[in-house]
Amino acid sequence: MTFEMSRRAFLASATAAAGLAFAPRGAFAADELVAATFGGTWANVQKQILAPYFVKRTGASVVQSPMLATEQIAKLTAAKGNQPPFDVAMLDEGPALEAIDAGLIAKYDPAKSPNFAALNPKFQGAYGPAITMQAIGIAYNPKTVKTPPTSWDDLWKPEYKGRVGITSLASTLGLAFLLDINRLAGGTEANMEPGFKKLKTLLPNLAAVSANFGAHGALFQQGEIDIGVQNFNFAEELKAKGVPIEFVRVDTGTPAWKTTMHIVAGALKPELAYAYVDSQISPDVQSEMQKSPWNVIPTSSKVPYAGLVAEKIAKTPADLDKMVFFDWAKVNQNRAAWTQQFNRDIRV
Amino acid sequence: MAGALDPKPRDWALALPLAAFFALFFIAPLGLLVAISFETERQMTGTLGLGQYAAFLSDGLNLAVLRDTLLVGAKATLLCLLFGYPLAWLCTKVSARWQAVLIFLVVLPIVTSVVVRTFAWIVILGRHGIVNETILALGLSAQPLKLLFSETGVVIVLAQVQMPLMVLPLITTLQRIDPNLESASRALGAGAWRTFFKVTLPLSLPGIIAGTILTYTACVTAFVTQSLIGGSRLLFMPMMIFQQAMDLQNWPFAAAVSVIFMVSVLLIVAMLVALSRSRAARLYG
Repeated sequence: MTFEMSRRAFLASATAAAGLAFAPRGAFAADELVAATFGGTWANVQKQILAPYFVKRTGASVVQSPMLATEQIAKLTAAKGNQPPFDVAMLDEGPALEAIDAGLIAKYDPAKSPNFAALNPKFQGAYGPAITMQAIGIAYNPKTVKTPPTSWDDLWKPEYKGRVGITSLASTLGLAFLLDINRLAGGTEANMEPGFKKLKTLLPNLAAVSANFGAHGALFQQGEIDIGVQNFNFAEELKAKGVPIEFVRVDTGTPAWKTTMHIVAGALKPELAYAYVDSQISPDVQSEMQKSPWNVIPTSSKVPYAGLVAEKIAKTPADLDKMVFFDWAKVNQNRAAWTQQFNRDIRV
Repeated sequence: MAGALDPKPRDWALALPLAAFFALFFIAPLGLLVAISFETERQMTGTLGLGQYAAFLSDGLNLAVLRDTLLVGAKATLLCLLFGYPLAWLCTKVSARWQAVLIFLVVLPIVTSVVVRTFAWIVILGRHGIVNETILALGLSAQPLKLLFSETGVVIVLAQVQMPLMVLPLITTLQRIDPNLESASRALGAGAWRTFFKVTLPLSLPGIIAGTILTYTACVTAFVTQSLIGGSRLLFMPMMIFQQAMDLQNWPFAAAVSVIFMVSVLLIVAMLVALSRSRAARLYG
């Protein structure tokens, strides 16, 4: 076998190879879906439970791409008018409203999604179903924090000077925390002054304000912080891994928000995208995901609350209604101003 | 000297593929960035103006962030130079085999991903990290030092992460210095220090400036290191651009911040280049 190749032939094949590299995605894998997921816990749980279920159901394959909600919106905005980079988006309430406003996600057709009807009505979004609720509270290290905290005010205790961790407003966790202390200080989504005032008094206790949620989780693991805000699921997952961490709800009501899934506008494979979202809201997948260490709060009425979800978050759907919700449309209007104010107030 | 090396027209053609690549994937997006920065509305409606620039410049916080970013880069670069110069000098003095080992060690940090290196530093600098455990064990301090989420930490990590960019140009320059010059200086009665300050240091200035430019530009734009080691309470320009572009989807403002940041860094680089030109002119005539 010889490797002699004319210059022309070489150029031709090189061009062809380059062409392949730049070919639009999906040109070859006719039955491959690209779906966005969140990083960390979500990427893991969807890879281990949702992906195999979807593959079995459709015979197609799926690439799950971990991205922040805001990153998904940025990518969809950049691709507007062209092929979207993924067909299924996964968003928190605030970003979901933005995506709807910007026309980035399509209306959800319940007829194409048999499991949609079994969702609790408040989880049946016109633009896509809520696949879970995220609930937040206080996580603490039981080795260093001897009295279990009961309210946000405990974070202000003098003995936790330099030991408290929160996240920036880039994470819905940090944003919901600020919204809730603002609410308790008498503010509203239209008036955040009480919240910011209260936050300023927390500064001496802050060990870290993480730039994002991922960095925040690592702080508990390394003993960098002893107490701080945290998502229920994430705290329980860390605990299952052996990290000394306990999660408690605050006695003023648990702030929570919906996490939703959507079919992207102009999706390349809408059929597969619907099958994927429908798999995520199926009772089988949701009851699997409710098990430890994941503890994902189910949204299907066919999945009764069990395990840690029942123990710590909700025994009946009515318990979920008692949680604290925010007006995300108003939040979106003011987020830019709050981010600047937050930057200013927490600056060293 | 210049005449003999003047490139012929055909030589220029060799640079065409790269030029085309740059035009398509660097100049064009950069032009787009500048164009977007003139959009006055977040929704990019096509109304053009200087509104985004005015918004940036009229807020003292933004200017403080710009100043801090340029300063943190300067501090890290200075640290790189202080630690890197002796290392580079050593590299030129040892045998070829040792030189290979040393250069390998210098380059090693580039081989691993910056994210991995930065996370390793979180472990090292943390409250229960190696540094603090050592300090506590030696009784140097009763409390663990706050190295993580502090500017000191950011400077230390930037200096380590970007060190190769300083050391490699320095090695190249130091190697090119004729050893006879140092011998002559010694023979004429100058001591080791005087020889260093009067002969070696001035002759290595081109390397110092090249290394400084590379290190400085890398340090001020090091998004991962700055945000992971610094946390949110230390805000630097790359994070601010990310906040505006990604969290808030305000692309015009993010573009304007990027342009202002780029121009500021370019001004500093231009000053360094001008400095090297004037020194080179004086040294080499």
